[in-house]
Amino acid sequence: MLQSAIDSILVLAVLLNLAMLATSRMAACIRTFALQSLLLALLPIAVGLRHETIPGAHAFVITAGAVGLKVFLIPWILLRVLRTGEIHREIEPFIGFTASVMLGAVIIVASFAFAKRMPLPTEAPTDLLVPVSIATLFNGLLMLVSRLKAITQVLGYLVVENGIFVFGLLLLEQTPVLVELGILLDLFVGVFIMGIIVYHIRREFDHMDTHLLDALRES
Amino acid sequence: MTAVRAVLFVPEMLVVLALPPLLMSVIAKTKAWFGGRVGPPWLQPYFDLHKLIQKNAVYSKTTTWIFRAGPIISLAALLTAATLIPVLSNDSLLGFSGDIILLAYLLALGRMFTVLAAMDTGSSFEGMGASREVTFGAMSEPALFLAFVVMAVATKSLQLSEMIGPKLLPEWQIAGPAMILVVGALLVVLLTEACRVPVDDPATHLELTMIHEVMVLDHSGPEFAFITYGAALKFTLLGSILVHAAIPHPEGFNVLSPPLRVLELGGLAVLVGAIESAMARFRLNRVPMLIAGATVLSAIAVVLVLMRRTV
Amino acid sequence: MHVLLIVVPVVFAAVCLALPGPRLRLASLVAGSGAHFGVTIWSWSTTFPDEADSVFAIEPLGHLFVSLVSVLFAATSVYFVGYHRKALLSQRIFLACMLALLAALSAVCMSRHLGVLWVAMEAASLAATPLIYFRLSARSLEATWKFLLMSSVGIALALLGIFCIAVAAMKAEPAVSLVYSDLVSHAKELDVLWLRAGFLLALVGFGAKMGLSPLHSWKPDAYGEAPPPVAALLSGAMTLGPFIGILRVFQVCSAAGLAEFAGGWLVVFGLVSIGTAAVFVVGNNDYRRIFAYTSVEHMGVMVVGVGLGLGGSYAAMLHAMHNTLNKGVLFFMAGFFWRIYQSNRVSDVRGALHHHPTAGILFLGGLCATCGLPPFGMFFSELGILFAAAQKAQWWVLGLFTLTLCIVFVGVMTAMLPMVFGPPPENLKSAPKGEGRWRNVVMLAPATLLLLAALVLGAYQPACVRDALYAAAATLEPLRTESGAAVARGMEVLP
Repeated sequence: MLQSAIDSILVLAVLLNLAMLATSRMAACIRTFALQSLLLALLPIAVGLRHETIPGAHAFVITAGAVGLKVFLIPWILLRVLRTGEIHREIEPFIGFTASVMLGAVIIVASFAFAKRMPLPTEAPTDLLVPVSIATLFNGLLMLVSRLKAITQVLGYLVVENGIFVFGLLLLEQTPVLVELGILLDLFVGVFIMGIIVYHIRREFDHMDTHLLDALRES
Repeated sequence: MTAVRAVLFVPEMLVVLALPPLLMSVIAKTKAWFGGRVGPPWLQPYFDLHKLIQKNAVYSKTTTWIFRAGPIISLAALLTAATLIPVLSNDSLLGFSGDIILLAYLLALGRMFTVLAAMDTGSSFEGMGASREVTFGAMSEPALFLAFVVMAVATKSLQLSEMIGPKLLPEWQIAGPAMILVVGALLVVLLTEACRVPVDDPATHLELTMIHEVMVLDHSGPEFAFITYGAALKFTLLGSILVHAAIPHPEGFNVLSPPLRVLELGGLAVLVGAIESAMARFRLNRVPMLIAGATVLSAIAVVLVLMRRTV
Repeated sequence: MHVLLIVVPVVFAAVCLALPGPRLRLASLVAGSGAHFGVTIWSWSTTFPDEADSVFAIEPLGHLFVSLVSVLFAATSVYFVGYHRKALLSQRIFLACMLALLAALSAVCMSRHLGVLWVAMEAASLAATPLIYFRLSARSLEATWKFLLMSSVGIALALLGIFCIAVAAMKAEPAVSLVYSDLVSHAKELDVLWLRAGFLLALVGFGAKMGLSPLHSWKPDAYGEAPPPVAALLSGAMTLGPFIGILRVFQVCSAAGLAEFAGGWLVVFGLVSIGTAAVFVVGNNDYRRIFAYTSVEHMGVMVVGVGLGLGGSYAAMLHAMHNTLNKGVLFFMAGFFWRIYQSNRVSDVRGALHHHPTAGILFLGGLCATCGLPPFGMFFSELGILFAAAQKAQWWVLGLFTLTLCIVFVGVMTAMLPMVFGPPPENLKSAPKGEGRWRNVVMLAPATLLLLAALVLGAYQPACVRDALYAAAATLEPLRTESGAAVARGMEVLP
């Protein structure tokens, strides 16, 4: 029961990647990211439940941190930045929406194929963990390189981070809480700074298109 | 096949053949309920069919025999398909190993003759509808077949009645997420193939927004009755594939099973009606995204199932 | 007590945030980096017990790097007093970020846990971001965005790499923690497949932050648009952080018997970086971007040295030391030239030697040092790497290394020599008087000191420096036996 709940969460998280690749509305995209983060934030507790009856404080701290940051704070910051601009849609990305969904699906299939070739040295909570993590990571990278708007690029980075978060579940007992919190804190400050910079980009160029950022090149 | 089963198939097929207009009626009633109306009487689709049968057909002078053969061949293909798909029980009438291939060709044959008949009229409207029908049909086929692959791998069988039969029950425990994806993909395929919202809107009379309805504008009389009945039958058949995959009944004959299936199909019709009430039709250029999404769901399900199989 | 190295800058950063006036804050910056430098010097005079369970520790490699960072920060803070005129970005935030960068880099160099190292590294790049955005212009905005995005992605890959190593460590019974010394001592029990994956990801990820090709593209933009003292910090000190990250992972790999695999990839990445620099240096008309490409080149040289091993590791350490000193000199002078000529273009800067002889000589010295001309240390380090390649009979490496270095040398020299020699343009402002004079002295003094240090350490190497470099290089190859050490010692190229 718990096993299939974990599996379902992971599969749903992968599908949300595709949903993010398919949406053109940035606000919807941000909300999808928040949903994905919420689902993933439940995992430390679920994985903890498998081992013992009551998951350790460690799992709860991480869940609380992830929910607070990635479900509320960061989407809030991004939506706020979005509200200051006039453009709410991603128009004409480098790779079209249907094409990027297809590419995302190819990435997912490839991640599963890859994960099969990398047997884990220990028993994992579920064998979906590694492929889902890799798939999320590369879907995030795809979003990062194929989109023009600064906000969507930040979202891509956050999706990459979510992929790593999934991978980190393998090491739940091994990583000290301090490191996990440090990672979350860095993530937050990073996104905060990115938010400020996106705001400045918009003010400077009246746009959030990063393709306007092409003044620096080899002369 | 035991003699008892052989005898039981007769009433079963009769119910299957009688059911489709009623399901259409359920959809209409659901939509009416959402809209706060009473809606047409429950038996309205039967009355419509009856009325159409009694009329005379009118043929345009530009049409040939293809136009007349289209509806008949389509209906015949669907009726043949009905013998391969289990609807009320876990068995089909004529199932054999590999029958999904035949099923695919039967569905394609039906579609091909509808399309040919539409093009035979020489009308640009109908040509446009035909083009859309073929496009979306071609796109939804991979989704359907990848879903079949999942079930074939899960049950190690190529006979439709076994693929969506009791053998699927353990699969829901081993690879639940994959099966959910398959059901989602099948739902999209059903909506596409049966021309329902959000892919197509059977209720509008604007030719520009329609896909299926626009193709059959020139048909009249008994032939239009065949087409209407055929569309309902197609919905029933694909719907029962979906229902069987989603809720596998345990092995063996059970008195409760057939009535339960009827209820499940009714539930599916309510669901489709609810979707039609809650959603608007997609813009035409967003539809490929939806169908591609269904294909992706099926593809991921294939990966998940293959992974669990070989581990 | 080594925690002081992290605490001191943090305290001064807080002081900086609290102080009211710009002058007081500048004083706090100088005091902070000065105190850090003081603690560093003191740290060399004491020995540290091996603390097994602390997060931070001083060991030869980290000690060497933290000292380099400290030297460059001390010099830069003095230089900045002369350079700083009008505050574009809030000066309070700017100075606090600079001190925070110092603290974060010290933490990177001293952390024993790979996770802590990662956290500190990310903190360092976040602290550096506002520094690049100093001018608040569209161009600096672009550079900042590229830096931030590229380093975020790089650091994310590095985190994945570290996690892969953690997975590899789960194979051991009981599972080994991510403290690198534990990993090294249990290296044989790690899962080889995951360790390889972890190494590659960490190399690509930290490589992006360090500026290894092909993820180097942020580097010319950031170095070109950031104020020169910040560019000096980024190229001289900031690069040491990811380098130490790569080295830690490399230590684990070579202890696990993957030295050939890991070293091979290091050599490949290094050569590609040097090659990229060679392609882009030639014909470039922006002197700060050229320096950025030489930085890409030097990162490549360091990585090739470590990858080759034997004498190469020692040479890489020597190269890292001289890179820090040279990059300081060059970017200090770049800032000085910008003040005089108001241009970043090579073709606008002419006849520095005539216009301002001291600056011209310093710049020329910096150029010679960075191109590896004999009295300077980089000559010896590059020669050492060539010997290491020859000793391992890797002739292709040797050939490519020599060829690309020569191209870079020619490219830099043909572009830069006219900047020093020749007649200066007509419409230059005459030498400033009064306050401007004082400023010039404050700006040139740190550059002079760094250049002198580079010259002295190149021409004559005191035993203490040599031992420090040697100890740092020795940690890179735990498997090297005493005989190997003797070989390495024999291979050293020293005046």
